[in-house]
Amino acid sequence: MAEQALEGSQPVDLTKHPSGIVPTLQNIVSTVNLDCKLELKSIALQARNAEYNPKRFAAVIMRIREPKTTALIFASGKMVCTGAKSEQQSKLAARKYARIIQKLGFPAKFKDFKIQNIVGSCDVKFPIRLEGLAYSHSAFSSYEPELFPGLIYRMKQPKIVLLIFVSGKIVLTGAKVRDETYTAFENIYPVLTEFRKNQQ
Amino acid sequence: MSKSSPCTYCGEASFIHDDISSELICSSCGGVQHLYSYRQRKLFVAQNLINEVTNPLGLSFKSSDVRSMISTITEGEFGQGEWFKVLIGACIYVVMRKEDRPLPMAEVASTIGIDVYEISRMILRVVDFLNLRPDFPEFDIVHLLERMIRNCSGCASAERNLIERMRKQGMFLIQCAVKWYLSIEWRPVPLVVAVLVFMVELNGVGVGMEELAKEVHARVSTCRARYKELLETLVKVAQVLPWGKDVTVKNIIKNALVGIQYMERNAMLKHGEKREEGLDQATVDLKDVVVECLRNDGEFEYGVDGMSKRKDSRYFMLESNAGRVGGGDSERQQISLECLSVLYKKFLDENNCAESLRGSGSAQKRRILQFDLLDKKLLLKYLLEKDVEVDTMSPSFVNGQLKCKMRRERINASMVRIKRIMHQSNADLADAEIPGTLDGSYPESRRKKRKGMVVDDVDWEDLIIETLVLHQVKEEEIEKGHYNTLLDLHVFNSGIV
Repeated sequence: MAEQALEGSQPVDLTKHPSGIVPTLQNIVSTVNLDCKLELKSIALQARNAEYNPKRFAAVIMRIREPKTTALIFASGKMVCTGAKSEQQSKLAARKYARIIQKLGFPAKFKDFKIQNIVGSCDVKFPIRLEGLAYSHSAFSSYEPELFPGLIYRMKQPKIVLLIFVSGKIVLTGAKVRDETYTAFENIYPVLTEFRKNQQ
Repeated sequence: MSKSSPCTYCGEASFIHDDISSELICSSCGGVQHLYSYRQRKLFVAQNLINEVTNPLGLSFKSSDVRSMISTITEGEFGQGEWFKVLIGACIYVVMRKEDRPLPMAEVASTIGIDVYEISRMILRVVDFLNLRPDFPEFDIVHLLERMIRNCSGCASAERNLIERMRKQGMFLIQCAVKWYLSIEWRPVPLVVAVLVFMVELNGVGVGMEELAKEVHARVSTCRARYKELLETLVKVAQVLPWGKDVTVKNIIKNALVGIQYMERNAMLKHGEKREEGLDQATVDLKDVVVECLRNDGEFEYGVDGMSKRKDSRYFMLESNAGRVGGGDSERQQISLECLSVLYKKFLDENNCAESLRGSGSAQKRRILQFDLLDKKLLLKYLLEKDVEVDTMSPSFVNGQLKCKMRRERINASMVRIKRIMHQSNADLADAEIPGTLDGSYPESRRKKRKGMVVDDVDWEDLIIETLVLHQVKEEEIEKGHYNTLLDLHVFNSGIV
């Protein structure tokens, strides 16, 4: 197994990623409906990995180690799961949280699981002139150097928000399926190459 | 008769309502009372607040525009309280920004007495609400510099011509700084302060950095950092000078004019090259291009954001050129050569370069003689060979590249360790196969000898990388450095088949 790994990695599928760069998914946010009313104080008292401060936030904050995620559990039975690195992990984590709630005596179900947000990042490996990009794509760009060092690019199709930095690092957020992230990056890559700073 | 607040004239509280004129009249003195409705009072207070904010910023002439914008946003209702002052500040910023005359957010925030992030949120809301985004002008750092020079209290005593020269110099330099990525990584205001400090030092105006930073509500330590970066970059620019190696951050002020002249001339030269290439000629005769540039300076009218770089050359021309009338190209080259020679001698005299050159007086004299031997051809050679454009990369990009390279080395070292463990009998062969990697991966300082054993000095990052390699993670993924993500996906992924 290790020898196979040491020999090298598989090439990028250029049909899907013409740029040769695949964004790395950094965070998955999902929601699920447990479909029952919950006593948050009771949950906080019984669960070891839960914290509840109603004066600050009206939800129990629960964490598990595998997958390493954080859940926000509301009295209405709605739950938000964050921190997973893939869709599978997010669903598995949500099921684990639901199971914990069941063991605490609540008739929790697992309804309407949905991926709400996917955050990805990648590096194009060349510096970018943000001023030029902001000027020529002003309808989609917001570049306020007094506030934030990156350029905020709101792509219409797919509906993705990209944070573009001069160092070549790109953050993509707002996707509900990973293909949206990949498509958004392939759309922006030719634009970035247009405003790249040429190296000596 | 009706009772209300006391009479504004005599203080009595007895009034008669005149049915004919619909006015309230005091029954004691007969004075006509003028009472305002709630809405009128609210509008009056709002206008006072607008004036209260615009006046300290010197923008009282924009009061009506600000009022109009607020009226549009609030549908004529205006407002009261602290939030309304924030809205006024945001509208002031947006009004000026729309006219390509941006104010620093920090200045507006300071005038109102709130945090800059609070007003920034309101500014974004105003822009979004009024749907200004597609045509909203970009932040103009050049105009910010002009505004600072115009409002600088310490420069008020300087003569007008000097201020104008500083303005032109500053405009040129700030745009160079943008090109050199000095403005892209950080907030723009400290860089503007740094450029202005450089200009006042260059022109002998006695204004300190603390004073300038205070005027624009910028942190002094940040301005000093930007100033240091600016000097370091200018030192790189000055390397193209014949005595460039002797230029340091301490004496860069004295060489700034000449360095910038060289930079501008090279920019003109490059423009000439592009024009020649556009004519689809098989080859480009650079010599002819240079001669043409030197002969017809006026032909190359180009600039950035409407600013002509040719016009800037007059502000950087040396005093010795002031009284001369440019003739043929030979005379121009001669002038340049003479100027360079004079400048170099002046540089040596002022900076005691003999000491820094570690030579005696004869060495200094020999250097001068060598410089005097330059003829027209050599001068042209400088113009052809020297590229004064400093091709700097953004610091964050450079740091990212270095980190990526370091991770690559760690990956290679991990693979070597894995191979060594898996093939103990072939350890020597493994060492021989990749000697370069071994040399780079196992420096002497990383070895520790303990009880006769040699232990590699590996840290937490090496262990993580080794774990990921063993789990068949792609090397390209490991190079990115997203260890938490990779560990979650490939190592701590139990339960998922």
